[in-house]
Amino acid sequence: MSDSVAIRIENLSKTFGLRSFRRKRRVEAVKQLNLEVQAGQVYGFLGPNGAGKTTTIRMLLDLIFPNEGSAFIFGQPVRQRHDVLRRVGAIVEGAMFYNFLSGRKNLEVLARTANQYDPQRIENLLEQVGLTGSAHRRVKGYSTGMKQRLGLAAALLSDPDLLILDEPTNGLDPAGMHEIRQFVRELADKHGKTVFLSSHLLNEIEQVCDRVAIINLGQIVREGSVQELLAGKSYLRVDAKPLDKAAAVLREHWSVTPNGNWLTVNADYADSPHVVRRLVENQIDVFEVSIQRQSLEEYFLAVVREDTPHA
Amino acid sequence: MRNLFRAEWIKVAGNRWVAGCLIWIFPVGGIAFIALAALILALSPAARDGFEEDGPSLWTEQAVGVWNLANNPVGRLILLSFTAVVFAGEYQWSTWKNVVPRNRRTSLILFKFLVLGTFVVTAFVLMSILWSLGWGGLTLIAGASYGPAISSKVLSDFAQDYALQAGMTFTATIIGAGYAALAAMATRSILGGVLVGFGVTFAENLSIVAFVIIGYFLKIPRVVHLYRFTPGYNLINITEWVNNNAPSKMDVDVGSGNTVMLSNSLELSLFVLAVWVIGLIALTAYLFRRQDITS
Repeated sequence: MSDSVAIRIENLSKTFGLRSFRRKRRVEAVKQLNLEVQAGQVYGFLGPNGAGKTTTIRMLLDLIFPNEGSAFIFGQPVRQRHDVLRRVGAIVEGAMFYNFLSGRKNLEVLARTANQYDPQRIENLLEQVGLTGSAHRRVKGYSTGMKQRLGLAAALLSDPDLLILDEPTNGLDPAGMHEIRQFVRELADKHGKTVFLSSHLLNEIEQVCDRVAIINLGQIVREGSVQELLAGKSYLRVDAKPLDKAAAVLREHWSVTPNGNWLTVNADYADSPHVVRRLVENQIDVFEVSIQRQSLEEYFLAVVREDTPHA
Repeated sequence: MRNLFRAEWIKVAGNRWVAGCLIWIFPVGGIAFIALAALILALSPAARDGFEEDGPSLWTEQAVGVWNLANNPVGRLILLSFTAVVFAGEYQWSTWKNVVPRNRRTSLILFKFLVLGTFVVTAFVLMSILWSLGWGGLTLIAGASYGPAISSKVLSDFAQDYALQAGMTFTATIIGAGYAALAAMATRSILGGVLVGFGVTFAENLSIVAFVIIGYFLKIPRVVHLYRFTPGYNLINITEWVNNNAPSKMDVDVGSGNTVMLSNSLELSLFVLAVWVIGLIALTAYLFRRQDITS
């Protein structure tokens, strides 16, 4: 396996023992997970709370150990070749720092821990994330957004080939979120970095990711490019009068759902001339026919609902 | 390696509130004591007379004696609290997740121990210098003599005692850190780390009572000799060897009018402590290498 595959996960499983009053129960957080991320991609990792996203990310970073299976980064098994993590930068479940140290000192500590201390790089990163002015202040006084920015700087300290970002825009204002999205895209497009992005903000994932995996109950339930996943997930919105007559005419060929003052017709873009023709031929006035695409959010909710028992 | 040492040092020294209250308080307290004593001596002729009557002051004793503050049970508890904050803090502040992917777990743990020991010893070296100089100032105010005169024999004996005391403090810190690290790994909180660490230290000091009871019921009084292998006894024993050139002897009543005398040679105490230090570090590193970092 070469550097062309940034992440490969094979049959990864993790079970936690949770101790509650009187008894111990086991929770399968991740079950036989398989995943491959090509280098240079921005890869979205989606799932509801408790789906196993963070557990998977922690196993990738050698923070927790799988019960079964293996995780590889650039072809190297993480458990056996810890050094490969020098090529990885990460934010896991929000950025956490030593509150009693300044932002600059925190970066120094992390850089020195990795034996990669370069004061100039720290200054450049602080400037890049807009924290130069407050770098001397103790992190205790930072806002959540400032901590996230510092987290991003910390993740970039070693100029990594792979960035693993778990909820990187938490606590950022809309402008900050937009900046991070642009920044992530730029890392992949201009610098050839691979970004593994976990986020609850599906709009964000849809805008920035090349491929997406949806994880639910510890297993991957869908995987593909955003276009592939949403292909065939479009419908026509028809505004015509009289509406009940229009519905009856269209039902002869397509599935139709009345939706207030308009109809949702289960047909795609290519069908729109036929829809209009059928309506006009039946003396029905057509005011608007538009194509509506399902958003990633709608798709995600549908998939999770489908795959979760009693959801 | 230098970078990892420096990173740990920044974290330990940078936590000013904790380092100030638990470590720098020793030298600062020492300076405050000297300043107060100087004021009293300067203002009170009776105090000056009393100072002279206490016998000649020796800078060697002053410089070495300072280390007893760290090597007694109370000092050990203070050092244990400090080390507990350093280890458990990484869990409580969720900072391990930033640190662990950047270096090998064994190296991270080893350097934590090394930096903690070095930091505490540095603080006490500073304190012993300030204290012995300050004491010299007091003798000057009181018009007393301050010996002994420097000779190669004096310096050689002093260096030996001083190195042994500094080594003892380093060892006591590492053993406290070992307890604290294990407690921190189990509880993942600073308070839990401190309390469990205290509990283990108290249990270790009170283990002699448990050994006496076990020996009494099993009718094997020699069980009490196990106490000779606890860190607490050996730390006191070595201090006794340094100060009085004799072991710390304990006569223990094991019932039925029998007593057992406990005493270790200096060499045995050094060996026992070395085993404890290596054992605690190895156990901590082994468990940390296998631990899931979930916070």
